[in-house]
This record gives sequence, structure tokens and C-alpha cells, in this order.
Amino acid sequence: MAKRPRKTVAATNGDAKKPAVNLSDRDKKTLRDLVNLADRIVVDADKKRDPYLDIPARTLSNIKYNKTKRFLEMGSNSNRRQLFNLSQAKVYMQSLLVASGSKRLIDEGKTTSLRGLYYMLKHSIEGTKEETFDDQTQSDTIIEDMEVTLNSMREELHLYAKNAGSMVGNITLTDTGDEIDCSRMGSGGYSIPSIVEPEAVQFGKCTAKFILHVEKDTVWRRFNEDKFWKTHNCILTHGGGQPPRGVRRMLYRLHNELKLPVYCLLDNDPWGYYIYSVLKQGSINLAYESKRMAIPDTKFLGIRSRDYERCELSPSVKINLNDTDIKRAKQIANYPWFEHKKPWQKEIEQMLKNGFKLEVESLISKDISYVTEVYTPERLKEQDWLD
Amino acid sequence: MAKQPSKNGAHAGSAPKPKNRIAAAAAEAAEAEDPADESVGEENGQEAASNGRKPRRATAQSMAASQRDISVSEFFAKNRHLLGFDNPRKALLTTIKEAVDNSLDACEEAGILPEIWVHVEQTGPNRFKVGVQDNGPGIVKKQIPLIFGKLLYGSKFHRLRMSRGQQGIGISAAGMYGVLTTGKPVKIVSKISPKKPAHYYEIKIDTKKNLPEILNGKGEGEDIPPGASGAAYIEKHGIEWVDVGHGTRVTIELEGKYLRGRGSVDEYLEQTAIANPHVRIHYQDPESGAGQTEEKLYDRSTDQLPKEPKEIKPHPYGIELGMLVAMLSDARGQTLSQFLTSSFSKVSSAVASKVCQTAGVGTRTSTTKVGRNEADKLFQALRETRIAPPSTDCISPIGEELLLKGLHQVVPGEFYVAATRPPAVYRGNPFQIEVALAYGGMSSANKVPFDVLEDLLEETDARTLRQFLTTTFYGLGSDAADQIIKEADLSPRTSASKMKPAEVKKLHEAMRNVNLESGQTMNVLRYANRVPLQFQPAACAITQTVMGTNWRSYGLSQSRGSLPTGPVTIMVHMASVWVPFTSESKEAIASYPEIQKELRLGLQSAGRKLGMYLRRRLKVKQEGERRNIFLRYLGEVATAVSDINNADRKKLYDQLLLVAKKKTATADAKFNERGEFVDPAEIELEKDPSVLIVEKPNEFGIKEKAKGNGQETS
Repeated sequence: MAKRPRKTVAATNGDAKKPAVNLSDRDKKTLRDLVNLADRIVVDADKKRDPYLDIPARTLSNIKYNKTKRFLEMGSNSNRRQLFNLSQAKVYMQSLLVASGSKRLIDEGKTTSLRGLYYMLKHSIEGTKEETFDDQTQSDTIIEDMEVTLNSMREELHLYAKNAGSMVGNITLTDTGDEIDCSRMGSGGYSIPSIVEPEAVQFGKCTAKFILHVEKDTVWRRFNEDKFWKTHNCILTHGGGQPPRGVRRMLYRLHNELKLPVYCLLDNDPWGYYIYSVLKQGSINLAYESKRMAIPDTKFLGIRSRDYERCELSPSVKINLNDTDIKRAKQIANYPWFEHKKPWQKEIEQMLKNGFKLEVESLISKDISYVTEVYTPERLKEQDWLD
Repeated sequence: MAKQPSKNGAHAGSAPKPKNRIAAAAAEAAEAEDPADESVGEENGQEAASNGRKPRRATAQSMAASQRDISVSEFFAKNRHLLGFDNPRKALLTTIKEAVDNSLDACEEAGILPEIWVHVEQTGPNRFKVGVQDNGPGIVKKQIPLIFGKLLYGSKFHRLRMSRGQQGIGISAAGMYGVLTTGKPVKIVSKISPKKPAHYYEIKIDTKKNLPEILNGKGEGEDIPPGASGAAYIEKHGIEWVDVGHGTRVTIELEGKYLRGRGSVDEYLEQTAIANPHVRIHYQDPESGAGQTEEKLYDRSTDQLPKEPKEIKPHPYGIELGMLVAMLSDARGQTLSQFLTSSFSKVSSAVASKVCQTAGVGTRTSTTKVGRNEADKLFQALRETRIAPPSTDCISPIGEELLLKGLHQVVPGEFYVAATRPPAVYRGNPFQIEVALAYGGMSSANKVPFDVLEDLLEETDARTLRQFLTTTFYGLGSDAADQIIKEADLSPRTSASKMKPAEVKKLHEAMRNVNLESGQTMNVLRYANRVPLQFQPAACAITQTVMGTNWRSYGLSQSRGSLPTGPVTIMVHMASVWVPFTSESKEAIASYPEIQKELRLGLQSAGRKLGMYLRRRLKVKQEGERRNIFLRYLGEVATAVSDINNADRKKLYDQLLLVAKKKTATADAKFNERGEFVDPAEIELEKDPSVLIVEKPNEFGIKEKAKGNGQETS
């Protein structure tokens, strides 16, 4: 994409009273991409051609597992979205609105939520009673489309999602100018923000040796209360179930920049396997982000299917697998990155044979702090994990 | 004690005194009675008394004394409602209707292009003078009093031929009503040729004898000489007459009420004009003042007379046993075979012999020798034998082209379709159904001028405003009425006649502005032998069949068991040698299954084409909407792009607009010169002769004479 002199436009925004905005390099790149998009449309209109956008297809058929890189990648299929096509005209218009909204945010140095952007862009079309957006799902989908088209993450478009996930450990960092000491965050922990880009979050000193990522908030509290991170010198994180992009990004950066290994403690059920899979390889929906969020070396500590016998758990903690679970388990077993791994096939087979699933909390039936004092340390010491 | 059969004798004795009251008659009868009978009567009474039973109030004899003939006119005088004279408003309308019907029939039979003058003048608080004149063949001097002064006298009862009047009651009943309510006689002027004198009569009906009483010219009527002297005579005697070479005028003064809106004279004349496009009607209503130039003209849209219907003989399937017996006794000296072939239609000698064979009666038997039993067998045989349906040249339908013209002349709309069914038969009577439909255009309510609205409000007897709106205007259902009232910010219970001027103004504004398309119900115009039927719609087979048709499949919305909604007027015409009415007043058609079937088929045929047209219209609308979509989003896109890269918004918009036009140009190629979408499958609609599509709705058919005949055609 050719450089254009217009990048300075942002600085000379209309209202002279607004403070000048400092644009990061990333921002500048995003702006350039947006402007290029717009310029192409102007050229098309000039040449009396039908303006269009090529949006990479985010469907399963366009997702490939890259064996060498060990994460999911998007293929090259794309869908053409045209202005002069009755069924696409409205979506095309909405796409451009999202682009212009994004530009405005970048120009003004502000971020907003998905819903915020929805409100920013929602208005009635001149001369009609029709609204540009009827509900937020429309704008959310188009934001993802634009991410993929511009090859920018949502955060780079200055849009954030809800926070979910907390972190404690022996590490300090700077978050939009504020210094955070994660070893002194009390019982709540540091709430991992949605935008964890280098511009916003910079790492300070870190003495932790590894990262332990757990599925749920409640499990995380157990570990925090027992000060596991202190005794074992690690960073303790959780994602509130399926971890949001902020958490994944944080894990990715910690793993890659600070070279910290990542271990996961998740429930013994298809959902847990799936969370692990997403952390490891990336998600189908956000396959275009895999290269910036996937951690192929993540290890799966537990809960394992054999733990019922190994830990001698009581029958009362068993939860029967239902039909959906079974179907899901088989699906996961067929994922290209699990397909050829014998240990994983055995693991899933075992769970199906068991006919039940186990939650991490079931270990409490043995002892309140069994998970922090016995289970996890044993697994780490024996290096008993799945890859 | 032997009772003598003296009743008849006693009765005969008292007959010559028709004017006696009952008691007197009874007394006289008692006097003339045989003493033997009297004693019987007394004896009975005494016997009764002595036996302890109650004495009778009257005996068979005394009751017999008061039994006598009742003349037809007496009967109808007391049962006016049977003939359509229930209330003053209806009476006025029926009078005009009967006179106009007769005029039209006479002109058509004579082969003259009809021109009719209708004058209605108010002569008292509830009194009107109605004059109807035509340019017909006129009436022979001798017949004039009988036609107007005798009930059940006429030419049409005994023949089977399509005509408006059927029994010969109408005009005489109107005259009788006039005399009854105002005491003024019926005035008739008739002229057969410009060179011969005209005849002038003033007549009353003697109801007891059912005979005319001529009041002028010493009981002989007057002759008006032709030429200038005649004109002077007319002037001098104040006779009303429009100068024509030949024609008839009848003037009746009666108690009546003049109202406009539904069921009014104006509506009747307008509907008559629709069904009779060859007629020219001059109408002077009571509001325009007597003898002034303010006259409404319903002009003719064709110079062709309708085809003359032929008279036919009755068909065997349509007669009853009693009628067969009567016909047999009338046909003297004929053999059965001759009788059957000559008295009935579609009975050949082969058919006649078959009938006789089935009945077991010889073909050469004389009709006089056919007894009751044989007649019965013949009757059954006629029913069972297969006889061809009657020929249908006895009916003259209006025809699709004239239906369209007539409807288009009077009813505003965008789309017209007409369907004439082939002739059919019910109970041996040929009949034919025709349907015409007009869609689109504004309701009369939208166009009513302010002063007319004021007048209507004054005249109406509707209690509330809502009632007023629904009963006065065509196609205004209660939904539409509510809309108007809401728009005008008035209470629906406002009394219609007591509205203040400011309120009337608001109402008028609302009526102009509210789009009534959604609130209108279908307006059904019913005709029997080209005569509009205005009353008793619910009882009429036509309305029932219209309601029973599924209009939803043709694109109109319809709730169950009612008329569909939409700006649509439908006209249904039944032409027959004998239209079966539900009552004497000839207001509603009876539902025979054959008639219902034909009605249904006719309605469906018109409905289908309406459906095609509406679908097409919807498509065009949708196409229009689609083009609009591009235009809508262009603006947004241009703004968004220029926000991003500071491009020239207007320039970008214009360029995108060009691309849009180029894109939709291919779609445009499918539009025809008028800018309407033409789908090859539906081009047929344009070429169909039974369909008329106009671009814009037409003005109302009513014109002021002063403006001349400038009717627009599409």
C-alpha cells in the first residue's frame, strides 16, 4: 500500500481546541489502511466502476491448520461485497460506516466499546425512516469483517470488549501510564484489560517462572488465597471460562516476550478441551488472529480423565456426559491438531469410556486445598501433562 | 229444521251497495235473509243462551254478508310497502324509477335513442312534483288512461322478453300513491307525431273498481293541436312539457322526501347512466330551482342502441301444472302435438311426440279433450324429457365494451375490467350475468365540495357524525369514518346536523386529506335488466355472492362474511326475461342456484384480472422501492468515505449516482414508454379488450350543462 501524505490529516483535526493526539505507529498504519480503502472507492467511482470490498471468508471451509506453525490460519477465500447489489447494499454501507467510525476514534485518540460504536454510527438515513443499524449484532459482525479486511485487530481499531480475567504474580507492568504491581493486587487481582497492545501495556520486572492459567474465577481465588503464585513463583491467570481476546493476548505476550511456559488447569469435559484448543491453536472465528494469540506450546495439566481413579474421588462428584458432550468430544478428537496425537486420543477415549465429566472443584471433596497443595504441585513435579 | 242454502242469495242481495259500512251491510243482509235463516240465527242464539254457553258474536251468515271482492288497487293501496312506497324518501325514488324504466323500455322497443328529462320540484314542506319526460314513441290516446290508471295493465306480463318493467304495476301504483297523499291527479301528455295533436290527461284511479277516472276535458281528456297554437295552449294552461316531436310525459305530485347520498334520486340516475350508456338524461333537482338553467346532464357515451331482445315462448321446464292446464284450455282446437310445438320454445315435433309417448297420450288428441289426469302426466313428461335450453336472443346484455365505457364515465379509477358471462337458464328462463369492476381513484368523500357537505349535513337524519359518513358516501366504511373523525379532532358522537361552522370546516379538511384507500369497502352496484337496485342489499343474491367470493386471492383484504376493503366499485347486472325478485318492490334478486353459479363465475373472472393488475402494481412499487434503496445508501457511503479520506463528498456522490443509474438502466429497459413495468406474461392485460387501464383517475361524471360536454377519455 503506497504511502500517502494524508497521514498528517489526523493531527489537523477540525476543532482547534482539542489537544493534539499522539498517534502510535500502529495507529498510523491502521489509518493508512483505512484511507487506502476509501481511496479505492473514489477511484472506482471515478472510473464508473462498481465499488466493492473483498472480505476474507470466516467460515470453516476457509480455515487451515498450519502444521509447521502449529496454529490455525485463514485461507485465501474471500467474499465480494458490492454497493450495487440489492442484498448487499446495506451491509456495504454499514461496513464503510464502521471504517469511518474507527478512523474517528483513532483521530481523537479514544477507544470505545462495541456497543459504543454501535451508538456512534446509528442514525436514520436522510429522507427515510430507516436506521443505519437496527441492532448491535449487525455492527458487531461488521466490526469483525473489517478487522479481517484491514488485517487489524479490533483493539487496533480502538474498539474494546468487556474485561474478563484476572492476574496476580511476581511481575510489574505499566498499563496506559499507570504502574501495576501484580504481587500487590489483593484478593481481587489485576483485571486484565481488553486492549493489551504494546502501546498500552508494557512489561516491567518479572521474577515469575511460569504461568498457570485456570478456567474459572472460583478456582483462581482458591489459588490466590493459598498464595500459590508466591510459593511456586508463577503468574496466576484466569479467563472466566472461554478466555476473551485480552487474556489470550496477555498470555501470548507473556509467553513470547518473557519466555514463560503456560500450563492450563481446566475442567475434564469437552468444553475444557475446547478452551485448551483455542489457547493452543486459535479459534475458527478469529483464525486471522491466531498468529498473534495462539500459544502452540501450552500444556494441559488437568483435570485428566484418569484422575477419578488416580485421585480416588468419590462417585458423587461424577457428572454424566450428555449427548452433546459426546458429540463434541468426538468432534474435538477429529481436530487436525489432536488427530495424530496418541495421548490425546487416549485421553478423549478414556473420558468417553468413563461416561462422566469432572470439574476442577470436585477436588475439594478430597480436601479444601487439595488442588493447590497436592494435585497441581504433583503434576508439575512429575511433568505429567498433555501437549 | 231445514236450513236453506240462502247464503249466496242473501249475499247477492246485498252486493250492489259497495259503499256500505260493515254494520249496515250486515243489517241489510239480515233483513234480506230468509226468515227461516233468521230464525235459525236467533234460534242458535237462544239455544246457546238456554244451554248456558256464551252467545256468539257473529254468525256465519252475518260474516258472509261482509265478505266481498277486493280490487287489486284497494289491496295495493293498503299495502304500499310491497310496491316500494314504504316511506316518503323511497316513494319519491320509486316514482321516478318506474317512470324512467317505462320511458327507456318504450324508446328501446321503438328503436329511438332515449333522451329523458327528470324534473323534481318541491311544492310544500313534504311535497314534491315529479315530472319525467321521454322522446319515445308516445302512447295511443285510448290506452293512456288504462296504462296510468289501472293496476296490472300492460304489455309485458304476457310475454317473455327482457324488459325493465315486468308486471305493469309500477307507474299506476305511483300515480295512486300520489293521489292518496296529495289528492292531486296524475298528469300525462303524450305525442305520437309532430304533425298530430298531443293528448293531455289528468287521471285518478278508482281503487275499488281498478279503473281510471279522467278528470279533465269532461272526462275525455284534452287534445293539444300541433304547432304554434299548441304551444300557446300549453303556456296558457300551465302544462309542463319539453318540446319534442314525439314522447310521453308523466307528472305526479306526491308526498316525499328529498335526500342525497345513498339510496337517493341522484344515485339512481347516476347508476342508470352507467348501465345505459346510450341514454341521455337531463336532471333538475329540487335544489336548483324550477325552470332554471341549472340542470345536470348525464350524457350518452355511445350512439348505439342495445340489440333488440326477441320475445320467446315459455320453456317447458319453467312452467307449473296450473299454468299448463290454463294454456291447454286456451288453445282451442289444436292437437296436442301442435299445441306443444307452438306454445313452447325449443319443442320440435319429435320432442312433442316423445313427450306424448312418455305421458301415454296420443299426439293427435285435441287439447280440449285433455283432462286433469292427462295434464298431470303431460306435465311430468315435460319435466322428464330432455329439451334443449331456450334460445337466448331474448336477452340483450350490455356488453363488455359498453360496460367499461359506462363505468369509466361515472366512477373514478385506474383499472377497469368487464366480464359478460354466456347466457344460462334458471327454471326455464334464460338469463345472463355481467360483471364490471373499477379499481382505484378517490372516494367521493375526498372530493365533496364544502357547500355540498354543508347541505348534506343539514339534510341528513343520521344521528351521529359517524353514521352520517358511512351512510352518505360510497365506499366509506366505519374504519375510514373513524379515521376522518380522528383527523378532524371531533367526537364521533357529534350530532351531524348540529355541527358548528368551524367543525364543518375541520371535517371538510379531514375528508380531503385522509387517504381512504385502506378504509373503503367495496361498493356494490346491482342491476336487474339495466335498472339499478338500491335497497335491500343484504337480501339480494348479488350482494350475497359478492360477499361469499374470496377476494383475498385477488389481492384485496377481506374479513370473513363481509365485503372486501379497498377503493373498488363492482357492478353486477342480471339480464333476464323474468328476473326473480324476492318481493313485489323489485329490490333484491332471489338466489336460485343457477343464478348464484353464474354470479360466482362472473365475479371470479373479473377478480382474476384485478389480481393480475394488483400484483403488477405491487411489483412496480417494489421495483421503485429497490431503486430507492441504492439512492438512500449512496449518501451514507459518500459521507463515510469523505470522512475517511477527505474526498469531495458531492463529487463522489454524483459519480456514484451515475454508476447507480447505469446499473439500473438494464432494469429500465424493461419499462415501457409510460414508465410502468411490463412483464411479458402480463402484457396480455394491456391488450385484453375487456380491460381498461387509465393513468390517472377521472373526474366525476357530473357536469354542469353550461360547461358543455368535455368529458376526458384516457
